[in-house]
Amino acid sequence: MHWIMSTVLRKWTLFTLAFFIRIVLVGFGVYQDKTMVVKYTDIDYHVFTDASRFITEGASPYRRATYRYTPLLAWILTPNIYVTPIFGKLLFVTVDVVSAYLMHGILQRRGMSCEEACSYCSLWLLNPLPMGVSSRGNAESLLAVLVLGTLSCLEQRHLVKAAFLYGLSVHMKIYPVTYALPFALSLRNLETADMSKTTAPLGRKVARLLLGFLNRDLLQFAVVAGGVFCGFTLLFYHMYGWEFLQETYLYHLTRRDIRHNFSPYFYMLYLTAESSWSLALGLAAFLPQLALLLLVSLAFYSDLALCCFLHTAIFVSFNKVCTSQYFLWYLCLLPLVLPRLMISVKQGLGLLLLWFTGQGIWLAPAYYLEFEGQNTFFPIWLAGLLFLLINTFILVQVISHYKQEDIKRCQKLD
Amino acid sequence: MVILGHFCILIVSLGIFGAIKADDGYCGLSGKWMESLTLSRDILKSGFHRELVTLVECDPSWPEELQVLLVQKLPRGAYGDPYQLASLRQDTGLQVLLDTEVDLEAPAYESSGFSMFVYPTRDAQNPKILQTVVPIHGRYHRPSDSGQGWERIEIEPPRLLLRADGCEQLLPSGPHVLVDAPCSVHNLSLCKWLEIHLPQDQRHVSLEVPSG
Repeated sequence: MHWIMSTVLRKWTLFTLAFFIRIVLVGFGVYQDKTMVVKYTDIDYHVFTDASRFITEGASPYRRATYRYTPLLAWILTPNIYVTPIFGKLLFVTVDVVSAYLMHGILQRRGMSCEEACSYCSLWLLNPLPMGVSSRGNAESLLAVLVLGTLSCLEQRHLVKAAFLYGLSVHMKIYPVTYALPFALSLRNLETADMSKTTAPLGRKVARLLLGFLNRDLLQFAVVAGGVFCGFTLLFYHMYGWEFLQETYLYHLTRRDIRHNFSPYFYMLYLTAESSWSLALGLAAFLPQLALLLLVSLAFYSDLALCCFLHTAIFVSFNKVCTSQYFLWYLCLLPLVLPRLMISVKQGLGLLLLWFTGQGIWLAPAYYLEFEGQNTFFPIWLAGLLFLLINTFILVQVISHYKQEDIKRCQKLD
Repeated sequence: MVILGHFCILIVSLGIFGAIKADDGYCGLSGKWMESLTLSRDILKSGFHRELVTLVECDPSWPEELQVLLVQKLPRGAYGDPYQLASLRQDTGLQVLLDTEVDLEAPAYESSGFSMFVYPTRDAQNPKILQTVVPIHGRYHRPSDSGQGWERIEIEPPRLLLRADGCEQLLPSGPHVLVDAPCSVHNLSLCKWLEIHLPQDQRHVSLEVPSG
């Protein structure tokens, strides 16, 4: 047993095995799609492929209904049309494994042994969730690799590379935009910004705080990231016009999906969909998110992996629309957070079980609504609230059991 | 597509052909055959995702070249998913054409009804029966003030159209109505179809979906 474990945890064995399993799953998907009524391939993958087909015909990818992504994705996936329909899936599973490679690098630079780093990476590499999601043709793994790449480059002070990846990730999906504040705080000039020792009046402290943001590193990061984001936006606006802005950004900002989902807001938004309050309520729902993200940024910016993990988990849990594929956005950061979490394996498994139970409790009434036609709107909403409670509890556990010394030491070193 | 939809609904010619000779219709459709024709419907499954089953039964003695088209109107509360239908067309050969683009996410109160053109294909083993199973989905409805908790969506009966290539007159006698509708699921061009009115099928089928 021990021999098997130590072999599996050897870096190349683990990564090759993980890649091989994913390739097998992609192959199985082709087989299942051909032979069975229930399809393996995610519906979104057909949306991407259809959008790519429109691109190869010289048309706008937005001619495909429900294509709500950057045209860049449809451009990247044009080999789906020209080469093989599974090109996108192969890309997603490859990127999945590259994400773990980046995790491994980050963990090793923290002083972890190769084998220990592998054991944490295996939580991603051998995890059925990312395996299933990317082999079914969902593009979330692209965001995982961009976010991990940004963190990895930031840690190594490759600021231009980091900024490029960050700008690209915000262009691909808007949620990493919230990382801007912790990134800015961590790139601040600490000598001018450090207020703890001074007894200066408040006005001066604020001035110093703001002055701390004016330094070469931060400006460089902001210019490159902003340039990449604006560059892509201008390019695609020029090519596809207002429809691009509407579908890629505005739709997600103003989205008030009234169909059932994990969000605590879903039932309220459904009931008020036609009231004149609807828009105001939709915007007000951003406030708890905003307040929490601000607090987390200020408290944990010195440990960016933890900060981004908390940011994403809060953003997803408190969002107006919440579906299970969003969970992957923060799961990819979990292997970076876990090593510093001072909880026993038992406690960890307990929290995991709690998380799955929360989803199960939601899934039951959702199934009865969707497939049995029973009026379970109210239980679904209650289950959504319970799931929010569970997520909040887990986040509190993560924060309170995180190895604080590391943060303090980082601050001292800075 | 939208323009096409408008066209199809337009009845272009209402030909009233007087009593013509005898019972020897050009394409072999006799009055007796017409009487054997029945249409029945059902809705399977429950919840938001249903299957609309339409069964056309007749005397097996019909000409090979005879084609059948069911024009099924769907109200605003339900829709057929064009992408799902395209996938089913590849897998099972189900032939359905929609007359407009469909918003898959909009609630009922922000949608409008549309028509599906369903082309049933003959089962070689049972030539008496033409059966189609079309997946349809309920839309979210306005929350009910009365606390009723569900909404009934009525699906009206389809119009039954017949056509045979190279055959101008299908029926030996009687007044009949010719309408324009897409010739086939592959082709957007219009053909003249003979509309058959079946007296026995005026029963509405319906589905109920929950509303909050």
